[in-house]
Amino acid sequence: MKKDIDLRGLLCPEPVLKTKKILDDQTVTSVEALVDSEVNIQNLARLARSQNFGFKSAAKGEHFVATISKEEVAPNTAPEPPAAAKQSKAKSGVVIFISKDRFGEPVAAPPGEEHEKNQAFSLNLLNVFLQTISQSGHDVQAVLLANSGVRLMDPESPCVKVLDELKEKGVEVLACGLCLDYYGLKEKVKTEQITNMYAICEYLFAAEKVLSP
Amino acid sequence: MSIDNPKDDNTNNTHRLTSNVKAGGCAAKMSSSELKQILANLPKAKDPRLLTGIDNFEDAAAFQLNGDLALVKTVDFFPPLLDDPYLYGQIAATNALSDIYAMGAKPALALALLVFPSCDFPLDIAAEILKGGADQVSKAGAIIAGGHSIQGSETLYGLCVSGFVHPDKLLTNSGAKPKDRIIATKSLGAGVSLLALKAGLLNDEAKSRLFSNLTTLNDKAIDALSYLSPNIHACTDITGFGLIGHIQEMSKASKLGAVVEVSSIRFLPGVLELASQGLVPAAAYGNRKSFQGNVSYIKDLPLEVTDLLYDPQTSGGLLFAVQPEHSEDCLKALALVGIEASCIGHFEEGIPGHIDIKP
Repeated sequence: MKKDIDLRGLLCPEPVLKTKKILDDQTVTSVEALVDSEVNIQNLARLARSQNFGFKSAAKGEHFVATISKEEVAPNTAPEPPAAAKQSKAKSGVVIFISKDRFGEPVAAPPGEEHEKNQAFSLNLLNVFLQTISQSGHDVQAVLLANSGVRLMDPESPCVKVLDELKEKGVEVLACGLCLDYYGLKEKVKTEQITNMYAICEYLFAAEKVLSP
Repeated sequence: MSIDNPKDDNTNNTHRLTSNVKAGGCAAKMSSSELKQILANLPKAKDPRLLTGIDNFEDAAAFQLNGDLALVKTVDFFPPLLDDPYLYGQIAATNALSDIYAMGAKPALALALLVFPSCDFPLDIAAEILKGGADQVSKAGAIIAGGHSIQGSETLYGLCVSGFVHPDKLLTNSGAKPKDRIIATKSLGAGVSLLALKAGLLNDEAKSRLFSNLTTLNDKAIDALSYLSPNIHACTDITGFGLIGHIQEMSKASKLGAVVEVSSIRFLPGVLELASQGLVPAAAYGNRKSFQGNVSYIKDLPLEVTDLLYDPQTSGGLLFAVQPEHSEDCLKALALVGIEASCIGHFEEGIPGHIDIKP
């Protein structure tokens, strides 16, 4: 039997306790819980994992739906919430590693108008590179951004659009947290897109091919 | 401990202090990223007598009065984290006094801050809160000399405390040196435990361990280590930002990287199991978001372990950066006065604020 439950408005730890109580009923095979915060989703994911149950979550308007299923037994690595999952998600595939906010090196010019122009051109080239990849249909596993490369994630950067497009196609777009911090961008980037050097190395070593423009 | 058998032992009370509280204790703290945002445009005080900088995330402010004396001042308050008003007062006071000890100082004078919904709750509850706080202040050898109270919709209580220290003995976040051992007192997991308490999931032993953790003053630790003070380079207390957040603040202020060994960390009873079942406070996720960019760990470290490293602590223990050859002496001195402590890692040359977590 499948059960639906509305847990909106309840304070922590009520949503977890209520869901556990329903799961304890032998006749229940799955629970669909409507909650109002991501914290509840993350806590329910932990509950499902501790019982070896399957777990899925999705946004529903301003709220979230968590589905815990007794039939789908969770594999060992899942279901981790996005923040922790990235630590172990590295798998082989094509990885694009961008460690600067430009494509190659611009022609050297003294500080001034020409220098600015060369920089802008190099950034624009990078944007074109990413757009071409996005439209090419090639299978890309992840785009990793480090050092000044994280500036592509600045909401004001021209590259934000193509990065979002890649994300929609299922490409993981991750940025080095230390670098975001350094360039003052940490507050502007979603948690699940922040990673660390350890995970970046894992991706690079596991990759079938690494492209670095 | 598991979430199978809730004991509804605190649900029958008609005046539950926590009934309208979203997050109690230090879990109610604004997140590190929010704080950064609202402090960004404030003018920064520049005065040679001010011994602490706001950039170094210090626990309290220190102000040099003369060659031998510095005034240390802090203020700390939070919403109720449990329903017993006396215990809440005790914990809030212990937590506020802790900031003074974390600077290596002794508290002298305290003033109470109270917001109380006197329309919804009987006044003797407010009196109990104040009593718990006052008793703890006198236990610390300080005086409570008054305070300020306001009527409001949610209860808040805490203290503004002044203490004194010799300027040379002031312990800040910024003095740690490469190879210094990190010594931590008290057990970790107060945030998860308090959530389990709210759910009625703690047995008597776990409750008493939690309450003793929350109401143990950090004075004994500072006293016990005073004879080793030249070998202690930095100190802070572990509160709302969790173990990782506070180590990160110290490591940023000291411009060093840090290594933390999980196997040496003391946890409160049952907290790992409780966290693995989803009893993780919202502020732990907030801390993870704020700090994880500068943290690395092996991928098979269990999720509940990292959850606890980010768990917000209320009235937590102290973190010391100790010269490596004296770390054993420190642990012995702390054990002699009955303080739980362990060496949980060390500092090293590296990216400031970066923490490497080892199993």
